[in-house]
Amino acid sequence: MSIIWHITSAVAILSTLMVVTRYNPVHALLYLNVSLMSLALLFYLLGAPFAALLEIIVYAGAIMVLFIFVIMLLNLGKETAVQEKKWLKPRVWVGPMALALILLLEIFYLLHTSQQMTGGPYANGRGLGTAVSSRAVALSLFQTYVIGVEMAALLLMAAVVGAAHIGRHKKTNLHRFLNEDHPL
Amino acid sequence: MSPSDYICLLPLIILALASVIVMLVIVAKGSHKTIQFVSLALFALAFASLFPEAVPLPHAVPPLLLMDRFGAFVIALILLSGGVVCLLSYLYFEGKEEGPKEYYLLLFLCSLGGGILAISQHFISFFLGLEILTIALYALIAYLKSRPKAIEAGIKYLVLAAFSSAFLLMGMALIYMEVGNMSFAGMSGAIRDAPSLPPLFLAGLTMLLVGVGFKLAVVPFHMWAADVYQGAPIPVTALIATVSKAGVLAVLIRLFLALEVLSFPRAALGIGLLAVASILVGNILALQQKNIKRLLAYSSIAHLGYMLVGFVPGTRQSFESLSFYLVSYILATLTAFGIIACRSSKSEESELLKDYQGLFWSHPKEALILTISMLSLAGIPLTAGFTGKFYLLLATLEPDYWALAFVLVLGSAVGLYYYLRVITTLFGSYPIQENTPSLPVTSFYILCLSLIGMLAILTIVLGIFPSPLIEYIRGIWIS
Repeated sequence: MSIIWHITSAVAILSTLMVVTRYNPVHALLYLNVSLMSLALLFYLLGAPFAALLEIIVYAGAIMVLFIFVIMLLNLGKETAVQEKKWLKPRVWVGPMALALILLLEIFYLLHTSQQMTGGPYANGRGLGTAVSSRAVALSLFQTYVIGVEMAALLLMAAVVGAAHIGRHKKTNLHRFLNEDHPL
Repeated sequence: MSPSDYICLLPLIILALASVIVMLVIVAKGSHKTIQFVSLALFALAFASLFPEAVPLPHAVPPLLLMDRFGAFVIALILLSGGVVCLLSYLYFEGKEEGPKEYYLLLFLCSLGGGILAISQHFISFFLGLEILTIALYALIAYLKSRPKAIEAGIKYLVLAAFSSAFLLMGMALIYMEVGNMSFAGMSGAIRDAPSLPPLFLAGLTMLLVGVGFKLAVVPFHMWAADVYQGAPIPVTALIATVSKAGVLAVLIRLFLALEVLSFPRAALGIGLLAVASILVGNILALQQKNIKRLLAYSSIAHLGYMLVGFVPGTRQSFESLSFYLVSYILATLTAFGIIACRSSKSEESELLKDYQGLFWSHPKEALILTISMLSLAGIPLTAGFTGKFYLLLATLEPDYWALAFVLVLGSAVGLYYYLRVITTLFGSYPIQENTPSLPVTSFYILCLSLIGMLAILTIVLGIFPSPLIEYIRGIWIS
């Protein structure tokens, strides 16, 4: 069990190092994805399958798509196709692929032997060893820590209002005859 | 949650609802004046609900919050600062290029974040409160987004505050890894019997201090302070200097008292070094400033240093003196920024020291109020600043921390130079100026000036009769 924990940690550290040393943002993103997935597996090993899934859905899924969208939007044009071709070299995807494969094998092994959630080496004796079901997560969020959830809501409100203010463009009020975009 | 929990948390609930109410008023196309009055009324309401008769005060709302008399005291200071800043904002934002609407909403959220910090007893509420405070501040600092300085200050604060939050989180994670508990009381149980602090815990505590140090702008984490103070709108600068400092300081006091960290000499030494560095560097860097906002930024670094001195002895008396000092610092800072806000015109902030040349001969009231605030910050007798500093010195000398006391006196002596420089500018000869546009005197201007005047009078009253406040603060710390 502990050996799987160490392999996953090594994958996490290696992929994160690759993230910060890549020059091309998309290459870095591929490694970032692997890093996030290995973090998810670490959560799973610690006995938190719900957090592991959230890590994959929210970080590896939603935020990563957002990143890629922004990058794709930035370099539209004829060079895009050429760049696409360059990106598809094996040199680019073999690294992340191999690391992801390790994670995949690990999760298959774990599922097959149904050895799950006994906790990593740091979890022993600290009350982390038992698996936390999603029911327990929901109960603690909406009963024990309900004030914390409310605070997080207010935090998001502050962020949304601030971003809306900073990002707003000032309307220029031109008469429609002066507006060149809509000729009569 | 039981009814008494709701009563106890009413000030924070009102602040949270206030942001929604302001949003509704914006949607109903309320004028700036309407929003201003609604906000002031809500601040007053929150203040009124602060001392509930029905609930005896150390009242825990487990697991995150603990409302006790110290928490109520700090929340009172935060609400006072929030209310004063709110009133100043009308004067400042009326007629500015940006509509001031979201401003009030963010102001409420900022005060809410400070309030949560003041009563938190758990890492979760600590972090969430701090983030509410900081994220509202990002937008507030860059609020006048067409001004390059404001955007620069906003970006600087965003990057550094996010970075320091990462440090804070890592520190919390390390501490959690060591003790396996995130509530302050639970952590103290885990390390109480240890002969010395475990290394992981010490590393976590250091990272946590780095994060908190950034927010408090103590040396060596002070780089952002002057630029952000200068670039932010004046009411927001006042908010950073009061609400955010009071909230973060309060949670730090709670954490340190709960963990009894200060009984470990290594931790006390670390805090002492931060304090000494802040006092010396803050005061020396302020000496040559020609911009009054930057000058106040460096002066606030030095004042935070003085307050950290109060941590080191770790006695009840030292925390009493720290609380008193916090009151005097907040009063003087609000007064100073109030006058700067009053003196600023629509397009320009009067932030240069030379804008105040001979102010006494043209506007004696404003000049006198600013003088009182500077005297209090410098710690001249008959002002609250002097009493605070004296009390702090006493608390440092009683357990024989001579070196700290020496640095405190030295810092005050250096500080005297630049505070007096402001005062001599105010009373200096009146410059011959080509048509300076005189600011219109509106009813709001008079209202603001009288409020700031009252704060200045309070500063003097606390300097002459400090005993009621001292008695009150003693009452807080005995219980």
